[in-house]
Amino acid sequence: MSLIPSKKWVLWSLVSFSLVTLSLPTIIIIGASFTSGDIIQFPPDGFSLRWYERLWELDDFKDAFLRTFQVSLICTVVAIPVGTLAALATVRYRMRFQQTIQVYLLLPFTIPLVVSGIAMMILFGEIRILGQLWPVGIALCLINLPFMIWSVSSTVNGLDPELENAAHSCGAPPVQTFFAVTLPAVMPGIITGALLMFILAFNEFLVSLFLTDARTVTLPVQIYNSIRSVITPDLAAVSVVYILVALLAVWLLDRLVGLDIFLKSR
Amino acid sequence: MSTAANMVEIRNVSRAFGQSVAVDNANLTLQRGDFLTIVGPSGCGKTTLLRMIAGFDEPSRGEILINGQNVASVPAYQRSIGMVFQKLALFPHMTAFENVAFPLRMRRFNPALIPELVDRYLSLVKLDHLAARRPHQLSGGQQQRVAIARALSFSPDLLLLDEPLSALDKKLREEMQLEFRRIQQELGVTTINVTHDQREALVMSDHMIVMDEGVVQQSNTPREIYNRPGNRFVAGFLGVTSMFKGRVSAIQDGLLSVDMGGVTMTARGNDALFSIGDAIDCAVRAEQITLLEEGAQARENTVTGLVRQRIFEGDRMVYEVRVEDMNDSSLYVFDHNPGKHGEHDVDTTVRLGWNAESFYAFPVVK
Repeated sequence: MSLIPSKKWVLWSLVSFSLVTLSLPTIIIIGASFTSGDIIQFPPDGFSLRWYERLWELDDFKDAFLRTFQVSLICTVVAIPVGTLAALATVRYRMRFQQTIQVYLLLPFTIPLVVSGIAMMILFGEIRILGQLWPVGIALCLINLPFMIWSVSSTVNGLDPELENAAHSCGAPPVQTFFAVTLPAVMPGIITGALLMFILAFNEFLVSLFLTDARTVTLPVQIYNSIRSVITPDLAAVSVVYILVALLAVWLLDRLVGLDIFLKSR
Repeated sequence: MSTAANMVEIRNVSRAFGQSVAVDNANLTLQRGDFLTIVGPSGCGKTTLLRMIAGFDEPSRGEILINGQNVASVPAYQRSIGMVFQKLALFPHMTAFENVAFPLRMRRFNPALIPELVDRYLSLVKLDHLAARRPHQLSGGQQQRVAIARALSFSPDLLLLDEPLSALDKKLREEMQLEFRRIQQELGVTTINVTHDQREALVMSDHMIVMDEGVVQQSNTPREIYNRPGNRFVAGFLGVTSMFKGRVSAIQDGLLSVDMGGVTMTARGNDALFSIGDAIDCAVRAEQITLLEEGAQARENTVTGLVRQRIFEGDRMVYEVRVEDMNDSSLYVFDHNPGKHGEHDVDTTVRLGWNAESFYAFPVVK
């Protein structure tokens, strides 16, 4: 298909404009992280890796990074079975209160994060688990669970509604049907949802702010704390670490599921 | 225990969903090795009946026997039934080979024999060269073949086909109809096919059941059902059929004299069902009507009418003709050799004739 030249021109300029606007902040922050000066600026003042070296020496950041990783892992590990089963149950099986349950599961989207944050802070305080790391993971899982459910649901919706019946007619009892047919068939949705949950938990700031203290502070909260004192280029370096984590997730997704499921509408 | 001469026996089976009755007191018997097609418009209950045989649904009343055994308490996965689904329901994460091997693994066949069996059935459907492909890497017809192989690989007692051909284009569908028939005859597997496509039913089956509104309307060989429709629905459902209203004026030896408005015609019908003065429906198939050339001898039923529409279908010309003498009804007639007979223009008069033998009379359904 060939386009009329003027149409082609307009299309191309729109695409390049979007690409530049989308990627500009990232490019600036990457550039700034390599500065050899003492303040964040773009274009960077010379080139050095000194802020990455400094980041490596800053135990606060390193510990916060490890804690964030831990929290995200807990969040993801909990989200996989909960989100998968919830999605399968609400989409696939006829049950009572189906609609109510569907709405209830998507409720976290409608509640402002500040409200969820305060609510969970009070709750966790009451049952005396505030100040530990794992409740943060559970909390992040709770507020982001709709993403997991959506991801799995969209795969389930794409399946043949007779898939389980087909397995039965092949002689597979219900439990084997679930593990040999249903679960593998929705695996792309589970992997996508799990990576999404991990990244979301890795980036989550507001709720973590309410639920962490000096001993359990996570990376986004740690960054926020440092901004309030002195803004140094090591923050740019942390941001680059974030970008790398995100890229890693996208790469994993491409290897495991294939990115074309996002690019193609089925 | 019964000796089970019949592979499937359905006794007074009904299925109701709340207020609506999907299947109403259905009965059928199917002999070992036979190919049965259940045909009817969508919503006639044919799929519900099939799902009850498969074990995905339970009858509200009545019983189903497979190979002589009442299957009321036998779950779907313990019945020896292979099924090809409407949208095939292939396992998307498995290759063609694994799809066909799945029922063998689930039914605990000797693992050493599985590859050989899978190969045998994949070559039966002419797909052995694509065993390593996933379903999405196969064409529609190839996926169809995987589904057939999967349904047959464990040598089930019974094969069920739930309109698996309905999604294919006409040419491929007709090719697959013959393919199904070939495989079925080669293996001798008892088969029940469900379809809304009358041609498929006529072409493929030894035995045929026509259903409408949950009720079995007629059950016989395709030839018998086509040539001797049991009621108005069956007559109208199969073939291109024209229907007329009339009133019985005389009855003699299975032949009725019918007052059609302006003419009196002779129709065939069961004496016992009619008495003089009854309002009845009469039906004639398009291929039974002859366009009478000038001077041609009149048939038992002869009328003149006005051509209203002319449709060229390649191998034949279809005329829609309005007959004033038959309450202004329209009828359809085929000309299989328009080149020889010449075309009749719209709004010209034609003379039509057909025999009493092919003019079916039915009591009016209330």
